[in-house]
Amino acid sequence: MSPRRLAREAKLWLIAVPVLLWTLLPIYHMVLFSLSSKESAFSGALWPDKPTLRNFGTVFRQEHFYLHHFWAQIWNSLWIAVAVGVLTLVVATCAAFAISRLKLKGGRTVMNAALFTYFIPAAFLAVPMYKAMGAYGLLNNRWSLVLAMVTLASPYAIWVLKQASDRLPWELDEAARIDGATPLQLFRLVYLPLMMPSLVAIGTYALLLAWNEYLYAFLLLSHENTIPLAVGLAHFLASDDSPWELLMATALIYALPPAAIYYAFRRYMVGGVTSGAVKT
Amino acid sequence: MAAVSFREVKKNFGKTRVVHGISLDIADGEFMVLVGPSGCGKSTLLRMLAGLEDITAGTITIDGRTVNDVESKDRDIAMVFQSYALYPHMTVRENMGFSLRLRNDRKDVIEKRVAQAAKILNLEPYLERYPRELSGGQRQRVAMGRAIVRDPKVFLFDEPLSNLDAKLRVAMRAEIKELHQRLKTTTVYVTHDQVEAMTMADRIAVMNEGRIEQLGEPLELYDRPDNLFVAQFIGAPAMNVFDGKIKCENGKAWVEALGTRWPLAGVRGSDGQAVKYGIRPEHLRLGNGGVAAEMEVVEPMGTATELIVKVGDGRLTVLTQGRSRAAPGERILLDPEAHQAHVFDAASGRRI
Repeated sequence: MSPRRLAREAKLWLIAVPVLLWTLLPIYHMVLFSLSSKESAFSGALWPDKPTLRNFGTVFRQEHFYLHHFWAQIWNSLWIAVAVGVLTLVVATCAAFAISRLKLKGGRTVMNAALFTYFIPAAFLAVPMYKAMGAYGLLNNRWSLVLAMVTLASPYAIWVLKQASDRLPWELDEAARIDGATPLQLFRLVYLPLMMPSLVAIGTYALLLAWNEYLYAFLLLSHENTIPLAVGLAHFLASDDSPWELLMATALIYALPPAAIYYAFRRYMVGGVTSGAVKT
Repeated sequence: MAAVSFREVKKNFGKTRVVHGISLDIADGEFMVLVGPSGCGKSTLLRMLAGLEDITAGTITIDGRTVNDVESKDRDIAMVFQSYALYPHMTVRENMGFSLRLRNDRKDVIEKRVAQAAKILNLEPYLERYPRELSGGQRQRVAMGRAIVRDPKVFLFDEPLSNLDAKLRVAMRAEIKELHQRLKTTTVYVTHDQVEAMTMADRIAVMNEGRIEQLGEPLELYDRPDNLFVAQFIGAPAMNVFDGKIKCENGKAWVEALGTRWPLAGVRGSDGQAVKYGIRPEHLRLGNGGVAAEMEVVEPMGTATELIVKVGDGRLTVLTQGRSRAAPGERILLDPEAHQAHVFDAASGRRI
């Protein structure tokens, strides 16, 4: 290896290692706490003397005051996340198809509006959203959070899917039209299969956005049985004497599904399905 | 199979008119090539016929039916695109059967017709492959297969060979021509390549700036171009064209150009008329003629030799059969074939 390449490589490592440590440190703490008994959690050791899985048992059996609704809450999280993912996809895919492929009039305006909503932080909209959901009588209903999150996720999703749609060769639409496809058949038989990688990526994005959401969940849902686990976790901090080892065990469980989803769909994040469609 | 006819067809993009009232009749079973430089409106004309562009004015009929307001899918046409436009997520079989599937044909019918088309195009070993697993020529054949299975009234080709390398282009050219001879389906073929036009067409429409400059059989266009544009567009190497003046004396006429006399067969034009004199490279024989020239470049091509020669202050191309021993700098004499000379009015570019 030449000295210049070595120097460049070294620079990369100098950046990568601190970033990696920075990212892993909280996760390390989470794992450490979740494997420790209540007594040893704050002992300061780098690894517990007697690692234990007892905390997880406690969580799964809901054997603590803060955990009485664990299964209900994780189910809420899942339900809400999947609903947000699916609804966002439906809204954004239809919008992207209509704007990008059917060249609907006013498409540009919609895209500009979508871009404009980036400038409004979600927190600004929290109170209006609360009022709106109240007006619809949806407070404390899981749908309120689903609708709010779809609203927040859609502009970005539309924007990304529109860009991805624009990259599909226009001749494919023309070929399909000549082959006799109606717009709906074009959508179903040509557009959706080719957009699959982007759809999976955006669906995952919306799903994780909802899974990780705290503010809106906290605001719109308040009953122990309707809140998602993210809000449930925060309840642990309500007392002075928080059971940190249980909190961390629960948090670790909560962090696993997103990791699994990323792992499962990593292939789709890359794309490459359209190769071979047209000569480039 | 069907005849196609354009009547005073016009097309505007915004305020720009790109097709200026074209009328063209294509006979049943004819292979019509639209050829011209890029931006001449040939693709637009084809796309209007395909139903991919609106028609600003005029009418287009297919098999006697006006199709101006008929959707692409109901025009009973098939189109082969320059980029092939194969569906990347479908196998060759699915690509070819897609239109039949949309038409709700029975499975066994689809199967049979795809098999037939695959046989014609030698695609049988590739039916289960995806487009990305095929070579350029194979993709092109799949695109043609997709058109064939439908047994349409008209085939449309939009520069189908532009993306292929030179050797493959020649091979596919022959394949398309053979296919047409076999199926005898009315075909409209757009290209910017005059060699493709010459070799494939029953008739050629040479287009320029949204108008048809000349319509005719390939050799008719080659031998008697109506105007300068066609004269210079058709033929490779291109026709030599230079400015001159007609001289008439004692019932004989010639053209004065490049400081020398260029022969004419018969009397054309009037004495002193400013013209463009055109003569194809193969009609300038080397020998004992009356035009003195100086050899500049010799380009041997095997069967023929292309020579660039200097006459006065003009440079001309000469094509001689076989090989030439001529060397650069050598003084030679050219013998233009008078009856093969073309003269065009200098102002209008019209043939005289």
